[in-house]
Amino acid sequence: MAGAIRDLFRDHAEFRIGAVLVAFVLLLSALASFSPYPPESVYVVPPDVPPSLAYWFGTTSRGQDVFWELSVALRNTLLFGAVVAMISRVIALVIGLLSGYKGGWVDRALMSVNDTFIVIPLLPLLVLFYFVMRDRMSWLALALIMACFGWAYDARLIRSVAMSLKAREFTQTSLFSGMSTREILVQEHLPHVMPVVFSTAMNNMVWSIGLEVTLAVLGFTDVNRPTIGGMIYWANQHAAMVAGVWWWIAFPIAAVTMMFIGLFLLAVTANAYIDPRSRFRTIGGAF
Amino acid sequence: MSDLLLDVCHVSKIFSRGGLLSRQRITAVDDVSFQIDKRRPEILAVIGESGSGKTTLCRMILNLELPTTGRLVFDGVDLATIRTAADRMMLRQGVQPIFQNPFDSFNPMKRLERYLFLTQRRFLAATQQPASSKAAIDDALHQVGLSLKEVSHRYPHELSGGQLQRVAIARALLARPKLIVADEPVSMVDASLRLSIVNLFRTVRDLGISIIYVTHDLATAYYISDRILVIRNGSIVESGDAKAVLKYPQHPYCRQLRDAVLLPDLANAAADVPISMTGVKGTGEPDRRP
Amino acid sequence: MHAQAVPDVPSEAVPPMLSVRDLRTYYRANRLGIKREVKAVDGISLTVRRGEIYGLAGESGSGKSTLLNCVAGAIRPPMEIVGGDIDFAFLSGYGGLHRAPPAEVARVRWRHLSYIMQGSMNVLNPLRRLRSVFVDFAYPHVGGTRQQFERQLHAHLARLNLDRSVLSAYPHELSGGMRQRATVALATVCRPDLIIADEPTTALDVLVQKEVLGMIRGIQREMGSSVLLVTHDMGVHAHVSDRLGIMYAGHLVEEAGTAEIFRNPLHPYTKHLISSLPRIGDDAPRCGLGGAPPNLADPPLGCRFHPRCPLAMKVCSGEAPAMLETAPGHRVACFAYNQSGGA
Repeated sequence: MAGAIRDLFRDHAEFRIGAVLVAFVLLLSALASFSPYPPESVYVVPPDVPPSLAYWFGTTSRGQDVFWELSVALRNTLLFGAVVAMISRVIALVIGLLSGYKGGWVDRALMSVNDTFIVIPLLPLLVLFYFVMRDRMSWLALALIMACFGWAYDARLIRSVAMSLKAREFTQTSLFSGMSTREILVQEHLPHVMPVVFSTAMNNMVWSIGLEVTLAVLGFTDVNRPTIGGMIYWANQHAAMVAGVWWWIAFPIAAVTMMFIGLFLLAVTANAYIDPRSRFRTIGGAF
Repeated sequence: MSDLLLDVCHVSKIFSRGGLLSRQRITAVDDVSFQIDKRRPEILAVIGESGSGKTTLCRMILNLELPTTGRLVFDGVDLATIRTAADRMMLRQGVQPIFQNPFDSFNPMKRLERYLFLTQRRFLAATQQPASSKAAIDDALHQVGLSLKEVSHRYPHELSGGQLQRVAIARALLARPKLIVADEPVSMVDASLRLSIVNLFRTVRDLGISIIYVTHDLATAYYISDRILVIRNGSIVESGDAKAVLKYPQHPYCRQLRDAVLLPDLANAAADVPISMTGVKGTGEPDRRP
Repeated sequence: MHAQAVPDVPSEAVPPMLSVRDLRTYYRANRLGIKREVKAVDGISLTVRRGEIYGLAGESGSGKSTLLNCVAGAIRPPMEIVGGDIDFAFLSGYGGLHRAPPAEVARVRWRHLSYIMQGSMNVLNPLRRLRSVFVDFAYPHVGGTRQQFERQLHAHLARLNLDRSVLSAYPHELSGGMRQRATVALATVCRPDLIIADEPTTALDVLVQKEVLGMIRGIQREMGSSVLLVTHDMGVHAHVSDRLGIMYAGHLVEEAGTAEIFRNPLHPYTKHLISSLPRIGDDAPRCGLGGAPPNLADPPLGCRFHPRCPLAMKVCSGEAPAMLETAPGHRVACFAYNQSGGA
């Protein structure tokens, strides 16, 4: 794994840029623990101060320091994305590996569920969830719901890898060495699909964070918890652009854009590294 | 209980593929019958070209596939009646496989000895002390000309194809099987190492284990096997004593096969390759165009 | 029979079709700070004459495919040509295709140098009918109008006894043997001077193999091309090669006319290759060669075969034997024969 990351870093400019962007965002979010103000309280600093030495990113109309607010928001948003990615990876792995290995009716049953989840329109459904649950809709509940809808594409991908693994001879060797299905899936196949899991995890984070920002901007989440979408929501509520408080909107958008581009580049390069065909193109075939 | 180790009785396998409307049926194995006697271990060569159904036959004997019609009985157990995991383990102890590609026979991410210890533990745990399992593995490796010292802590890519195939044979032996099914076991092994692997099969047979040796290579089949089945398009076209069938083939297809063998001699070299390319068209090879 | 098929003595006036001089090709990998250097081809010299089939035999890892890639100019990291020259009759002075300017490479490809690969699926685009594949590969090198090219193509297929309906087929619609015949047709349609064939029949069934080999030989004889044929199968070499080079662990260990090699093999490895193969009707027990092929990242000193050699002497582990001629046209690298004034 370390070797792979090193190779990627050396050979791909995209990976270098992505890694720097993600590292910067991570650093910013790590600073959240040092925030001098409680993140949810308002009017702790003078409102509407433009970026200055005292307030690097300026302050909001609600009397919050944009820098520290952004730091906390980034942390919460990343945490949300990571939780969704993690839970949905687990579901995708179980379904994908089992479906690919077992084949037959197990595969058909699991894949019909899978395809149902792929075609469900998510945004209206999430809005519906919000109206039904209202105040009980915490970020964790939202993360759980999105994880339940975010695994289907990747389960299909993992299934296809598992199908090719099943056809390889070492799977048969494991079987005739007396291993059970669970052992074969966990010990023999899982290490082979981990690269796919990592690269799809990053894509999944981009997807879930994007959706969360959309919901928050529209006000369909718990807007009192600082998130990137929440910040933009409040800025809109206070007509920040009209009032000339551009920094309230510009910095969160810049941060989330950096995060998106960074994660996207990492996912793309990791994908290129995993996909033997594109690796073949870069290394080159015989002719 | 009969004296048959393996009874393949009018076995056919039909695969169907395609959608609901245009289902295509492909007969991979067509009414194949043969027996292996328990009292007389032997090497049975199954000869066929690609697509002749020999791999499907192997998979059915290994219980990885069930026949569409017919019965497969191994050591008194009808393979179609196997339902529970315990029954499956029993069968896998009795029938062990060896595969074609030694470089793919072991997980490239895992150490080799893992499979040896697993086989030893899962199949023979009840009969042996844990301390002696290492000795048993070393013994099995010695039977194939290796030792545990050479193999332990090694990953598959660190060994040559010949060594890996030896490890695969040692692993199969560890389960103390009655039958080994070897599907093209030497076709991907280097020429200089091939013969030592083939010779190992004779050693294994003398241990009392029957071997089904699936191959397209008539020369090694002649060299090693006792009995032979020639398969074409899923059915047996000729069978019998290996030396007799290969020296004096009766069926025209077998004669054609034997004549196509390129010997590393000059006796029949060069001169008999048609320089004018007559006869290029008329092969027995099926064209896949509809 | 073989000797007569080609002029035995290369005349000085006519340069050989291909000459490789002291070629060294290493794979250099640098993973996790550990440098590895695999000497896949280590000092090989050989010539392919006009109008002959030169066979290269050897096991996996002997460097025969690497040599082939060097000749074809397919050099990409981690593979590196460290030394030596490759000259063609139609392209010399550059030291190899990989060093020639792109315009020269484009001039030479397909017109003078073409390839037959093992897996025909790698050459034939699965999404295109064979006619388009022929047009893609060969038409730019032939020139003329499309109608002329089409006529030429039909004549060529007729010569190879292939039905012209294959042109309208997709690769997957053809059987493996038919596909490989199509790649032979593709490689020969421009009547190249040199054809490089890498295990052209290894993936085929025996019945078809013989026909494809006959086809390669027939068209080669008719066009007078040279062929560099690489396969591990001694049976194939016995059937089609005029001269044969035996490779072991990056070295050429023996070279002679095919008949001579089979009648009078000198190098212990060659002897083993020829004698160990079982034959139908011969019940003599045979044994495999002990040991394993050497690790080319750390090859044994001296002769690379000496750890497995039944004739190994003291000198074998100290220095590497040179390729010396023991009889006209028969070269061998072994201390048992004629080395440094001995024997």
